[in-house]
Amino acid sequence: MPPRRARVAVDIGGTFTDLVCIDANGELHRAKADSTPEALEVAVLEVLARSGVDPASVDSFLHGSTVVINAITERSGARTALVTTRGFRDVLEIARANRPDLYNLRYAKPEPFVPRHLRLEVTERVSYRGDVLTPLDESELAGVAQQLRDLEVDAVAVSFLHAWIRPQHEARVALVLREMLPGVMVVASHEVSRQWREYERSNTAVLSAYVQPVVATYLAALATGLESVGVDAQLYAMQSAGGVCSFDRALRAPITMLESGPVAGVTAAAALGRQLGIRHLLTLDIGGTTAKTSAVIDGVVPVNTLHYIGKTPHFAGYPVQVPVVDIVEIGTGGGSIAEVDAAGGLHVGPRSAGAVPGPACYGKGGEHATVTDANILTGRLDAEYFLGGTVELETDAASRAMARVADGLGVATEEAARGVLRFAVAQMANALRLVTLRRGHDPRDFTLVAFGGNGPLHAALLARELGITRVVIPPGPGHFSAFGMLEGSMTAQAVQTFVGPLASTDVAALLRRVERDAQAELSEPATSVQRYLELRYQGQEHTLEIPVPAAGDLLAGLVEEFNRRSEREYAFSLDAPLEVVAARVELAVQGIAVPWVADDNDDVPRHPTGTRVVDFDRHGGLLEAVVRDRRSLTVGEVVAGPCVIEEAASTTLVLPGQTVRRDEHGNLVLEE
Amino acid sequence: MEADRFTLDILREAFLAVAEEMFVSLQRTSQSPVVYEVLDFGVGLADAKGELVSQGNGVAGFLGPLGDAVQATLQRITDLVPGDVVVTNDPYAGGGTHLSDVAMVRPIFVDGELVAFAAAKAHWTDVGGRDPGSWSSSTISVYQEGLQLPFVRAWRGGRLDNDIVAMIKANSRLPEQALGDLMAQGACLEVAERRVQELCARYGVATVTAAMHEVLERSERLARATLATLPHGVFEAEDLADRDGVGNGPFAVRVRVEIGPDGVHCDFTGSHPEVPGPINCTWSGLVSGVRTVFKAITDPVEPATDGWFRPLRITCPPGTLFTAQRPAPVAAYFESTEIASDLVWKALATACPDRLTAGHFLSVCSTSLSCRHPDTGEDALLVEPHAGGWGAGLDVDGQSGLVSVGDGETYIIPVEVAEQRYGILVERFALNIQPAAGAGRHRGGWGLIREYRILSDQAILTVAMGRHDAPPWGVDGGAVGSPNYVEIEYANGTTSEQFGKASAVTVHRGDLIRIVTGSGGGWGAPGGRVHDSIVADLRGGYLTLDIANSTYGYQPG
Repeated sequence: MPPRRARVAVDIGGTFTDLVCIDANGELHRAKADSTPEALEVAVLEVLARSGVDPASVDSFLHGSTVVINAITERSGARTALVTTRGFRDVLEIARANRPDLYNLRYAKPEPFVPRHLRLEVTERVSYRGDVLTPLDESELAGVAQQLRDLEVDAVAVSFLHAWIRPQHEARVALVLREMLPGVMVVASHEVSRQWREYERSNTAVLSAYVQPVVATYLAALATGLESVGVDAQLYAMQSAGGVCSFDRALRAPITMLESGPVAGVTAAAALGRQLGIRHLLTLDIGGTTAKTSAVIDGVVPVNTLHYIGKTPHFAGYPVQVPVVDIVEIGTGGGSIAEVDAAGGLHVGPRSAGAVPGPACYGKGGEHATVTDANILTGRLDAEYFLGGTVELETDAASRAMARVADGLGVATEEAARGVLRFAVAQMANALRLVTLRRGHDPRDFTLVAFGGNGPLHAALLARELGITRVVIPPGPGHFSAFGMLEGSMTAQAVQTFVGPLASTDVAALLRRVERDAQAELSEPATSVQRYLELRYQGQEHTLEIPVPAAGDLLAGLVEEFNRRSEREYAFSLDAPLEVVAARVELAVQGIAVPWVADDNDDVPRHPTGTRVVDFDRHGGLLEAVVRDRRSLTVGEVVAGPCVIEEAASTTLVLPGQTVRRDEHGNLVLEE
Repeated sequence: MEADRFTLDILREAFLAVAEEMFVSLQRTSQSPVVYEVLDFGVGLADAKGELVSQGNGVAGFLGPLGDAVQATLQRITDLVPGDVVVTNDPYAGGGTHLSDVAMVRPIFVDGELVAFAAAKAHWTDVGGRDPGSWSSSTISVYQEGLQLPFVRAWRGGRLDNDIVAMIKANSRLPEQALGDLMAQGACLEVAERRVQELCARYGVATVTAAMHEVLERSERLARATLATLPHGVFEAEDLADRDGVGNGPFAVRVRVEIGPDGVHCDFTGSHPEVPGPINCTWSGLVSGVRTVFKAITDPVEPATDGWFRPLRITCPPGTLFTAQRPAPVAAYFESTEIASDLVWKALATACPDRLTAGHFLSVCSTSLSCRHPDTGEDALLVEPHAGGWGAGLDVDGQSGLVSVGDGETYIIPVEVAEQRYGILVERFALNIQPAAGAGRHRGGWGLIREYRILSDQAILTVAMGRHDAPPWGVDGGAVGSPNYVEIEYANGTTSEQFGKASAVTVHRGDLIRIVTGSGGGWGAPGGRVHDSIVADLRGGYLTLDIANSTYGYQPG
């Protein structure tokens, strides 16, 4: 029997399900399969079979999936009811009443996940200070249970006013309903959020209840499937705030599995940064439809405690009060479509050609010119070595599609291709500025970590645009997110709203309490603790989250850091007292240190060393660039741009004036 | 560097990013709840002639004032230097609305050349005057409405003018908030300046200037292109504006809209002269109200610039409800701005059914409640708009509980936050279901009921609601909606009349204020409503069986 020490991470994305494994001998395996949205576990088992990993050797199975977000966006969750404080059953339907689409006078607000006839009220009331104003009327509960039974619901959310400070009424009702309604999933709001704002907290509880039965079914099917192929491993689920938790815990608060792949990409980049000793890094994750970025400052992965599902500039979306890694996403990726509007203006994205029909050069019927087509036409991508030469691209189709854009703009096709890329890169640069300059950071202090299929292709251009002098491209950039899951730190988060003047708040006691709540979610003692306070100037609404200093004068340290951050982010500071609004504690049990290893296996044919003509546009025009297969680079060898580094699922462009080398871990390092 | 067309496209997006950044900066740093919760503010970037090239708006009502404020600044102040910031709230001059809306304008220079302007206008919580919160529904002249700041420099060459600061401080009941907003607005203008200077350093002043020109031209081209898709002809509407808060009215108002291939002309001639109470608006308010609906029927999504509105012409003689002259009271000007929107909307509803609905509850439904917080002993002032019911569309029911056309990305205050901050007890927050109101083939959406129990010894209430006297209109046989109102249940068991306007009413501990907004109008005769929709409404408790029978002709089974 082989030693049971293989560690497997499987990440389900919209298009592909990725597997990365470090086996008992420390060797790396990767596999990819098409995702199977109708039964997600099928692709998981398929990709495991393809990987050749011995199921019996798997010790830890780490998993990120789209099961939660799919259930919400497709509205395929459970028939869910809401039990709330008397007088407030319409809160879920009223929402916050905002109209983000200002001039659309036929705007339709988000439809609540619980319709009115499934929203029931109970007599009880607690004040904002946590005093009981009206005791819970226990005599109503049997009737409520009967109504819920008659309504044939599968799940119930219980959300009472001010349960963020005094959850006893909610807890009692949840307990009674669980007893009276066996088989019905009951979620109380305080179990998923201890933050104030009744609509947001109710919606969080409702969505958690709504997805719970779906998630339970899925995780059970997956566990059974894994068992049936001989996997007997610890099972972990990826969390939206980074890190993992046991399947058991994920079942109790499934809403924390909302985001996985993109989050794993950021935590993987942070882990890579720790290994390489990078202080501040910017992630750049470019896929087919979007570009995503996040700023990891001093090694800290940024987390928001309020996240919106489906929010756009024209739609309010659904808020959830769960910690989610702060990622800025824009609709510009490889498949983004270039269009000319009625006034002759160019737009790239957010419309995407997706995987089907895909960019015009795929030859699968795509009529629209995309960013990928522009990259083919400028020679930045090699039409003959796409996905390692496994897919043949049609340059003519790309050219025909781009000619239509060029006509609309009144320029030559080549010029249109350059313009599309210039525009796309400018859009991506705006996203990078959003997480740096607009928050008071200088991008030149950052290292760019680029991954996703299209990250390495645009990284050099973005670095030049923003004055960034170092870019790191990890091995297997297309699998990087799944790779990041391998680390598998177990994490737990607790957030507690607590409003009061900073000067008179016992901050240490508050943090101890929140830390206890977080620790209760972990099965082992934490190996690292991060403590944060949400603070604001008294009289202000918006808060800044400030890390709590580990040593020194706590209050003075918090005030100083708050003023500094406020000045940096908003060019604004006041001589006003501070108010505490919430405390957050992040605990982790360190997983393994991911061994970054170069992927030099030869299952994909190597790109021959040579040269090709590449259009570098404003960075030197048409130049003969050196072309190298990534595997052919030796550690210590420095190649000067203009050059192109090819690998199976990605292409790295290096501009004139930049150099590229391969470090001892197999990363490509571009320097200016 | 030559201004190639891709650079122009890239700069077009960059100007939007500047406005967005200004918007977030101001929202995050403001001290006024009306700014950071209600988002009653607008920011923008204008070219050197004062034409707005990009803007960030929290509410619809800022489609006129920003560019006007910059242009008036240019006319009045001829010796602008880098680092100057001009402050104005003059309601009757360029960009003016009411005194609470304070506009600030900063010229942006690059190497001594005037390249652009940054402007921000925001509702300050208190600028002095007769009433706490500065606006009321019963002033009879602007001199009761607060401190006037007629195009004065708050910063001169980058240095804060302490004389202006001292005047603001002395005039506001909440000087920390007022000065906090002065600083927050100043900071957001500085952010814009920095960004524009960066763009000029990168692309050159000539290119940035050319890009601004192109943005305006492009907007105009797009707007003109949409005119071809609109029905051409003359459309008219008339209505009644609610009473003015000091005992007069209602007042007849009218519009004649002419849509042709070259433009849209809205003529308000024949509308009632300016009135003694504070519901008058001035030119900028009228322009904003009309532009909102023009934007809705042309293209709601494209960024709004001053170029977009070049095909729109507005006519209205001076001295009407929509074009009040000094010293007419204007504290509740937003009521007439909305009426201007609503009139054009009503004239065009059946002509543009893919863009417009039946009448909605229309009013910002502003209330202000001033009390001493019973737990902290500190003064608290709750100024808020209320959400209500929207009208049905040709093919959809109306929306329930949505802020009015004059608001926008405006968030109502959570119950849990309101109780903590203002020391009131919210006893109910619910849909105001009036099954017969707004009945139709498609029915209007519901308004809301929000109840405040007073826990302090006393509190002062001011209310300015429109659509109390005349309910929202229906279309094509759809029923009218229901009115907006406030009533007070006193601790002694008596209840006040329902009212739409009230100024500085004193209430006491134990009294309950009930704020009620109306349903939108219906579209199409109720008899045409499909059976399934009636059944669904009955199930949801949106409809009673007798109204289902009497109004909709519903037979169970």
